[in-house]
Amino acid sequence: MKNRLRVLRAERQWSQAELAERVGVSRQAINAVETGKYDPSLPLAFKLAGVFGRTIEEVFQPDHDAGLSPNQESLERGEQ
Amino acid sequence: MTAIPNAPRRARWAESVFPALFALSYVVGRVALDKLPLDPAWPRLVAALLPVAPAGLMLWKMINGVRRLDELHRRVHLEALVVAFPLAILLLMTLGLLELAIDLPTEDWSYRHVWVYLPFFYFVGLAIAWRRYK
Repeated sequence: MKNRLRVLRAERQWSQAELAERVGVSRQAINAVETGKYDPSLPLAFKLAGVFGRTIEEVFQPDHDAGLSPNQESLERGEQ
Repeated sequence: MTAIPNAPRRARWAESVFPALFALSYVVGRVALDKLPLDPAWPRLVAALLPVAPAGLMLWKMINGVRRLDELHRRVHLEALVVAFPLAILLLMTLGLLELAIDLPTEDWSYRHVWVYLPFFYFVGLAIAWRRYK
């Protein structure tokens, strides 16, 4: 799963530790999420999106349309 | 166990006190066992089991500590157990099978020697899990 945490954090000039404190996790957790080594739980993803005033979809994106079935992909492309 | 992030000062204090109590009770128990006569047996039993209570308290604090961990730390500890538990079973199974074939020397392979491998496997698991997320 890709995410825009690093960009959003840089915009606000927050350190990883600051962001970690705001969402109540460790700095290591923020680092692992930012580097894509750890996918956060849904509650944590909501919290992370919430502190930036964004929706989850604006912060997290699936890798290569992961999780979409072939039917969903073709629907998204407008195919019959 | 790794230091618990955001743990209150009282919890951090307990993290260091219980291991110290455990070590102290172990030393006191061992010294008492060397000096106590074989009969009656009950003082020797008390001395031998002296470290059990602090060890239990230490484990209870560790289990409580896991509840305060964030989700990444919980995942890491879970993955450490996933490594440690099968390794422990493998070790015990190997020793059990060896016992069928030969007499294992109890001065090297008794319960009090083998248990040390279990936390060792856990720390190996921790190192492997952290390598993935760091």
